[in-house]
Amino acid sequence: MVTNIPQPGLPLLQVQALSLSFRRQEQVVDRVSFNLAAGRTLGLVGASGAGKSSIARAILHLIKPDAGNILFHGKNISSMDPGQLKEARRRIQIVFQEPSASLSPRRTVAQTLLEPLRHFAIGDSDYRQDRIRQTLQTVGLDADVLQRYPHQFSSGQQQRIAIARALVTNPDLLIADEAVSALDVSVQARILQLIQTLQTEHGIAFLFISHDLAVIRQVADEVAVMYRGQLLEHSPADRFFSRPAHPYSKALLAFASFDSSSQPPIGWLPAGHEPAGGSSACVYAGMCADTMPVCERLEPEYYKSQHKQQPHCVKCHLYNEEHANETWTEVN
Amino acid sequence: MSVAALNVKDLSVWFETESGRLQIVDNISFSIKAGETTGLVGESGCGKTMTAFAILGLLRASGARVESAAIEIGGRDISTLSAGQRRRVLGRDIAMVFQQPGAALDPVFTIGRQIAAVHRRHVGDGRSNTRRAMLDSLEQVGFGKPEKIAAAYPHELSGGMAQLAMIAMATVCKPAVLIADEPSTALDSGTRAVILQQIKRLQADHGTAILLISHDLSVIRQSCQNVMVMYCGRLLEVTDCQSLFSSPRHPYSAGLISCIPQISAVKPSGIITIPGRVPAPSALPPGCHFAPRCDRALSACVQSIPALETGNQRSNNSGVACFSPL
Amino acid sequence: MILTTWQRLKADRYGMGGLLIVSLFAVVAICVWIGLLGQSWSEVSGNRWESFSAAHWFGTNLLGQDILQRTLFGAATAFEVGLIVTTFSIVLGTVLGALAGWYSHGWLDETILWLKGVLDSIPFYLFAAAIAYALQGNRWAMHLAMIITFWTTTARIVRGEVMRIKQREFIEAARAIGLPGITIVFRHVLPNTMHVLLVQATIVFVVAIKTEVILSFLGLGMQDGVSWGLMLAESSQEVVAGHFGNFTAASVSLFILLMGFNLLSDALQDALDPRRVIT
Repeated sequence: MVTNIPQPGLPLLQVQALSLSFRRQEQVVDRVSFNLAAGRTLGLVGASGAGKSSIARAILHLIKPDAGNILFHGKNISSMDPGQLKEARRRIQIVFQEPSASLSPRRTVAQTLLEPLRHFAIGDSDYRQDRIRQTLQTVGLDADVLQRYPHQFSSGQQQRIAIARALVTNPDLLIADEAVSALDVSVQARILQLIQTLQTEHGIAFLFISHDLAVIRQVADEVAVMYRGQLLEHSPADRFFSRPAHPYSKALLAFASFDSSSQPPIGWLPAGHEPAGGSSACVYAGMCADTMPVCERLEPEYYKSQHKQQPHCVKCHLYNEEHANETWTEVN
Repeated sequence: MSVAALNVKDLSVWFETESGRLQIVDNISFSIKAGETTGLVGESGCGKTMTAFAILGLLRASGARVESAAIEIGGRDISTLSAGQRRRVLGRDIAMVFQQPGAALDPVFTIGRQIAAVHRRHVGDGRSNTRRAMLDSLEQVGFGKPEKIAAAYPHELSGGMAQLAMIAMATVCKPAVLIADEPSTALDSGTRAVILQQIKRLQADHGTAILLISHDLSVIRQSCQNVMVMYCGRLLEVTDCQSLFSSPRHPYSAGLISCIPQISAVKPSGIITIPGRVPAPSALPPGCHFAPRCDRALSACVQSIPALETGNQRSNNSGVACFSPL
Repeated sequence: MILTTWQRLKADRYGMGGLLIVSLFAVVAICVWIGLLGQSWSEVSGNRWESFSAAHWFGTNLLGQDILQRTLFGAATAFEVGLIVTTFSIVLGTVLGALAGWYSHGWLDETILWLKGVLDSIPFYLFAAAIAYALQGNRWAMHLAMIITFWTTTARIVRGEVMRIKQREFIEAARAIGLPGITIVFRHVLPNTMHVLLVQATIVFVVAIKTEVILSFLGLGMQDGVSWGLMLAESSQEVVAGHFGNFTAASVSLFILLMGFNLLSDALQDALDPRRVIT
């Protein structure tokens, strides 16, 4: 079996000042940076359109960023040669939101699972048969699903098949793009259970994208919050859920906890409610409960705090050393 | 005792196929008072949407068989109406908001035209009145600039906006009953909250009775006074919302609620699930359909069907269909 | 997949009728090809314009040839033209349409669309005549002319389907592992256009036969052998003289075969439609 030998000390995935825009001028991803260590799960949360899925596609090299770098095992994805890129793709896999749409309708489960193995030339024919059976077992399906077609399964089973397809190449990193959002709550619970197993028993790193904080709570070690393309806060999960730093995080959390007195976090309102912000001001300024005069004028820096040795960074003027009561230092 | 805004009695929907009868909805009854929101919650395939379609009489062309003792709006039985009479009722006395806003809006007409068409059909008191009513309805669902939305085409709106537009279309004639089928699925939680807020506001302003259908328990919790839990075509528990979440009586309700992920200060150690899978309509277990997955099942549960017994110490309208409730 | 389609087809009486008719004609065609039937189509075996008799079931034509034999041979011709034109034009149209759709809005797409536009704007029968002339009576001139012009319809349809399918997530999944575009198109996209192609094939078959009839009528079609079109051409003189045998045989056969195909095509379209509920 192929084992991954990570370079000691180097994070598995490094995203550095990633910026992306589509044909419209709006910045879909705006100078986003974060690292992900091997075996850890980062929950990426934000409203739809906040840029989360675009980051996923940039990591898979399906779209080219306007600026910034993505380093996988220390190597820049944009400057990889085809061989290295192929190897990177073997190790980074993705699971999508709609299980029925993510499986090829005219191919059997066996064909779908074998395809990545064939494409990446992993093992010989016997090894591949073993591998797909093993993977099916990991996701909790019997081998008799192999000759059937996707439409013959429930959405929960289809999502398991999609996860199996992602697992079959033994990846280091799995990107789950709203992977449980389209499932019923009981089915969702079982898929989350599966993901927990994959985390603990297989040591797979996850980039878990979701708009649902409760779901993220179940699986994430770290949480990163995005709003209109910008990363506003990145903190360890326990810290995030007990003491969120950014006002937007606080609003999200209060709302998700059924605090009935809170308004829904702004950024999700229909047209006509979005404020126009100047390009240098804080992107959240118009909606923030804790706005200060400086927020309208100046874009905040990233401030980081070394709390219990786990990095915690937030992009907010509140944490400028003049205002914060903890030790927050500017990230350069 | 005032007449219920919506009263459904002994509603059943099934298909006759070569391999026998596929029961989709099995003899359900419920009623909703004006100004109240009742949630119909259940997993995909349990028959919730078919119930809504059956109430509206939309199943006639589909081959499904529908039978009911009564479907009453404000006391008037609409199940016995002719097609023409029914058309007068739909949109005016009862309206529905469908699951996927993108699919339910006609892409070649502007939003304004579609809403105005509904008003014109049922009220039709002149162009300027219709236009005003149309803009009003858009404003009521929270659009700051209704003229802009009225001039837009469906594909120009985001999912949340399209859903609000559909609600505007459903409420332009101020119906007594509104059925909202998964009004916020595939939308993120912020948009969802806005939509639910708007639905509640409409209810407060016009006293509409609302049947809110969803598989998402948190949606139900945020917006409903009463809840009905549906499984494989049957109602398993009917009670008020608070009671359901604090002390569910049916094992299925309890199971569903425990599956909901919670936000807590400490990372949860394990996730609870309901064992087994939802049976297909062609393979429904005998007796109580939930019995095979239930850890409290008795032998009686397989032999006979527990009836929904209403009336207990909590409230008059609570009921649970179970031989060994919690 | 195939099984459910077949089951649905079986339930459609008109469709099964169509299938029966087409099969019958196909059997005749095969028999002609292997030499069992219709072999004496050119033989002058009787007097001219004999009417129905035991020796000549459909009578004879202007030259004394047996009309029945000629009709049977005509069935073979119809199938030959139909199959060749359909196969090649569908394949050509699918490949070009898929490439255009996959690389949509790129230079390849623009080129193929331009080519389509040019071919669509040429009046077909002039084009056929030009090719027939250029190939100086080559047996395959007519087939070639049809293939070169018929692929455009298939290409247009396939292009649209490909553009629609390539947005689906399973295509993105294939891209995410780095599969090259061509592989994705042939392995994942095209199999999902099969239902459209199958129906299109039956339509092209019909159009090919009808076109052959007209071309032969104009003298641009079959050079050797006989076809219903040639028979109709011959009969234009005979009818004036009051002899309808040739005309009736050809036109009735044509009508029945095309009707059968249309019924089959309609039924196939319904059977392949995934959204229809069977009650």
